[in-house]
Formats: sequence, C-alpha cells, structure tokens
Amino acid sequence: MLVFTRKLNEAIVIGDGVEVRVLRIGRDNIRLGVTAPASVPVHRLEVYEQIRRENQMAAEALRSQTGLDRLRGSKPEQS
Amino acid sequence: MTSSQHSTAAASGALSLRTEFGEFEVPSRDIIAFPNGLPGFERSRRFVLLSAGLQAPFQCLQSVEGPGASFVVVDPRWVLDSYRAVLSDMDRFRLGATPDTPLLWLAIVILASDGEAYANLRAPVVVNPETMIGFQIMPPDSLYPLRHPLPRE
Repeated sequence: MLVFTRKLNEAIVIGDGVEVRVLRIGRDNIRLGVTAPASVPVHRLEVYEQIRRENQMAAEALRSQTGLDRLRGSKPEQS
Repeated sequence: MTSSQHSTAAASGALSLRTEFGEFEVPSRDIIAFPNGLPGFERSRRFVLLSAGLQAPFQCLQSVEGPGASFVVVDPRWVLDSYRAVLSDMDRFRLGATPDTPLLWLAIVILASDGEAYANLRAPVVVNPETMIGFQIMPPDSLYPLRHPLPRE
C-alpha cells in the first residue's frame, strides 16, 4: 500500500484524471472530495461490498434453484 | 454450478443461450451492455432480459458470457408502490439518457436461506432501452433497504 501524508486542501492523483482531495479534517473523520471521469464509478467501500455480497447470494440461489418454485412459471417456453 | 451457462454466436446475429430455464435464441439487438458489469460480477458485461420460465412480473437478467451471472429481477414499483429512486446526473449521463428518456428499472431478487424472498431496492439496475446500456446504481443517500420483502400473493 502506498501511504501519503496530506494536509488540508492537498490532493493526490490516481491514474488518468482521478483526484482525491482532503476538504476537511475533523476529530474522528475526514472529508474527501473525489474528482473522476464519468467512466469511473466511485462508491463507499462498505456499500459496494454489501451490494456485491447480495448479488452473489442472489446468483447463487438461482444456480442452486433454492426457493425458486414460487417464482417459476408453469412451463418454460421458447421465446 | 448446475447447468453451465453457454452461448454461441450464430451467423444470423442471434445468440443461442442455455439457461436455468431452457434454451433460447436471443437476437443481438436484445443484448444490454453493462460497461462495469455488476458488483461481484465485474467481468460480465453483456446481459439479456428473459421472461420465459418465470411467473410474471419476474424476469431473468442473464449474462450471455457467464460464469453464472444471472438474477431474478422485478420492477421495484411492483414491490413497493411508492418506490421513487433518484438518478444522479452522472448516472443519467453514463446511461446516455436525458431527463425525458423512459428508463427500465429492475430490482434484483434475493432468495434467502430462510426461504423468504426479498428485492434489493437499495441498488436497482437501470437500463436505457434506447442505448441498451445498463448499470446497477448505488445512490449514496437511498432510503430503501437492501432487502425489502416481496409482497405475498
């Protein structure tokens, strides 16, 4: 892991055009401003991880057919 | 994994797709591009929406390139009448949509080990049918839960 020491209003740049700036330093937290191209999604890590786990569980249930009966149609048909 | 998801490109511009619900011919124009994949399935970039095999209003969002990325999905407004998700300007831009573009909203259904079924209203999938581009959006201030119980008939 790369480690930087930054002061208020200082920033780092990641790759091509992603900038992370320290906007405020509080007692227990800091406020970061992220500037990134539209093609780069930015999320809080814990939110992303949570949604990733839910997606994996949703796909796994479908693969193992768990609880699918109540959603299943009477008969698969060719579309 | 039970049956393998499998697809082959045919000369006709159609894909032949083997799914949990049978085999289908899917025209290329029905393929939805997910430029970022979905969280947990970042490499799955092309999906189709299938209605066969499931009871309405449920559909299957199925990856055409695997492995195993397929989801039961449902209109979040069927789950919760009052559902109103906010799309950020950035997400709208990524979808190639204007504020007037009609968008398709889908909530991923979770069949939990407790036998209950839930819909993920926190992070819905949004598709622009005009560009056939889709994203799973994660609004930072959403009031909706990751697991909202499905209505019982």
